[in-house]
Amino acid sequence: MGRYALRRVAGLLPVLAVMIVLCFVAIKLVPGDPVMVLLSDQSGDVELEARLRADYGLDQPFIVQFGRYLAGLAVGDFGYSFRYANVPVSEIIGTSLAITPILALAALTLAVPTGIVFGTFAALRRNRAADIITVFLVVAGISIPNFALSAMFVYLFAIKLDLVPVAGWGSFSQAVLPVLVLAIAPMGYITRLTRTYMLEVLSQDYIRTARAKGLRNRLVIYRHALRNTLVPLLTTIGIIFGGLLSGTFVVETIFNIPGLGRLAIEGIFARDYPVTMAIVMLFTMFYALINLCVDLLYGLIDPRIRLGSDGN
Amino acid sequence: MVEIDAGRQRRSDFLLRFRKSRNAVIGATLVALVVFVAIFAPLLVPHDYEHVDMFKVWAPPSAEHPFGNDALGRDILSRVLVGAQVSLLVAVAVLTITLTIGVTLGMCAAYFGGWTDTIIMRTVDIIFAFPELILAILVAAMMGPGLLTVIVSLSIVWWPGIARLTRALVLQLKNELYVSAAIACGSPPAKILIRHILPNIVAPLMVRASIGVGFIIMAEATLSFLGIGVQEPRPTWGGMIRDGLQTLRTDPYLVFYASLALAITIIGFNLLGDGLRDILDPRVRDR
Repeated sequence: MGRYALRRVAGLLPVLAVMIVLCFVAIKLVPGDPVMVLLSDQSGDVELEARLRADYGLDQPFIVQFGRYLAGLAVGDFGYSFRYANVPVSEIIGTSLAITPILALAALTLAVPTGIVFGTFAALRRNRAADIITVFLVVAGISIPNFALSAMFVYLFAIKLDLVPVAGWGSFSQAVLPVLVLAIAPMGYITRLTRTYMLEVLSQDYIRTARAKGLRNRLVIYRHALRNTLVPLLTTIGIIFGGLLSGTFVVETIFNIPGLGRLAIEGIFARDYPVTMAIVMLFTMFYALINLCVDLLYGLIDPRIRLGSDGN
Repeated sequence: MVEIDAGRQRRSDFLLRFRKSRNAVIGATLVALVVFVAIFAPLLVPHDYEHVDMFKVWAPPSAEHPFGNDALGRDILSRVLVGAQVSLLVAVAVLTITLTIGVTLGMCAAYFGGWTDTIIMRTVDIIFAFPELILAILVAAMMGPGLLTVIVSLSIVWWPGIARLTRALVLQLKNELYVSAAIACGSPPAKILIRHILPNIVAPLMVRASIGVGFIIMAEATLSFLGIGVQEPRPTWGGMIRDGLQTLRTDPYLVFYASLALAITIIGFNLLGDGLRDILDPRVRDR
């Protein structure tokens, strides 16, 4: 297991390295830098510009700048904002750092159990009305974009029924709609997968054996079928989490939540690329970390994975 | 003669299963509706979709404008109908580009192996390291908004999946007897890949592509919604929802009809994709 874990981590490093290089080059390619922000009043003052560039290290060769950027990253320094003069990116991000993971984890916590319950429920009533309705709802849940869903929910629950606030962040009632919107698509995927795996497991010989020896139906479902259904479900959690992180870009913008997603979008419109890049980098690392955990957990549960020839 | 009969047999078999699949039939109907609307939108629209009428700003639905009017008094029905064009245009463009690149690179990676395989698959890994929509948003942000931006950014995130699938499929077929026979006969690699291997991987690729259309249309709408996708004056469903969100409390019609159009389209493609997978994938066929 130790060697498998090591191999998994080692495989991740070059990918992250290339990602960092890409982000750095991207920031350098787009026009603008902090000096231009500081000089907005006195553009044309060549001497001042040269001095500021030296202060920020922007007169150094590309490779030196990259080295400094890397050294900064190691201690959580993402450079300076293009929008606000003299404000480090880490300071802008700092206040939003906790909000987005909370949002995504809350949605995941809501989606996983409900998805498993609905999926099992549908599989056990295969091709009956309840199953057909569930399957249709799943397709609708997966298909309707989160911003359209947000608009519908806001109109229905916040404006017409006045049950929750339209937007904002800080109270439980304000979190209900964004978490619900984020949870719908993952719920759909988990319901569908649970149903598929459940049907597969229920047709296995050991289920027939369990039934044949007179085990109560409930025990067959919970002890034998559901447990084996959960293992393949685990592998999809990483992809689902990636979807949730992308979803926060939209949902935070709509519900006016001061998280990383909204900040990244604001960064795009303000041409504040260091902020957007830093957030993309954080999300990607977070995503890689989740996928790593899922892989390791899967290797722990299913020895066939870690003993496989190339670990893929 | 025998071959033709077998082909016809297979086709009628496909149609039979297609008609029996509820998903495929409903999906194909919805998709056909959307494609029809997109192609004939110029003939179907009751009004000029760009016509601004300041006396009808946010006018509620009426006999003349069944879906009402938007912030500039433009006819919402006409704009929703024309909106189908951008969604389908992007989907067709991205599919064409990603299938061409993905299948070519995936086949090369699997067939040649070695360094070719390593370089192609490492590139794929790097793109897969990003959550897909976030990468698309990033590329779109750097390129600036526009139709081309949307097509390029979605192609960048969508081709690796095709390449990976193609590679896996080709690896399975590479050691088949008929491929060895073709190599023994001295056929060049390009001919083996196109004549002997490609026809055998078309079905799973079709399933993948049809499931992908739903994602591509949703991603296009998301980029347009965020304001970094296709821009005015070209109507997009995502852009309409964005415009309508500000006045949702008083004038929900724009958001409602644009969401409805988007939902019908994506549900249609997803159902069709699911149906095709049920029909074409032998592993799930009997379930």
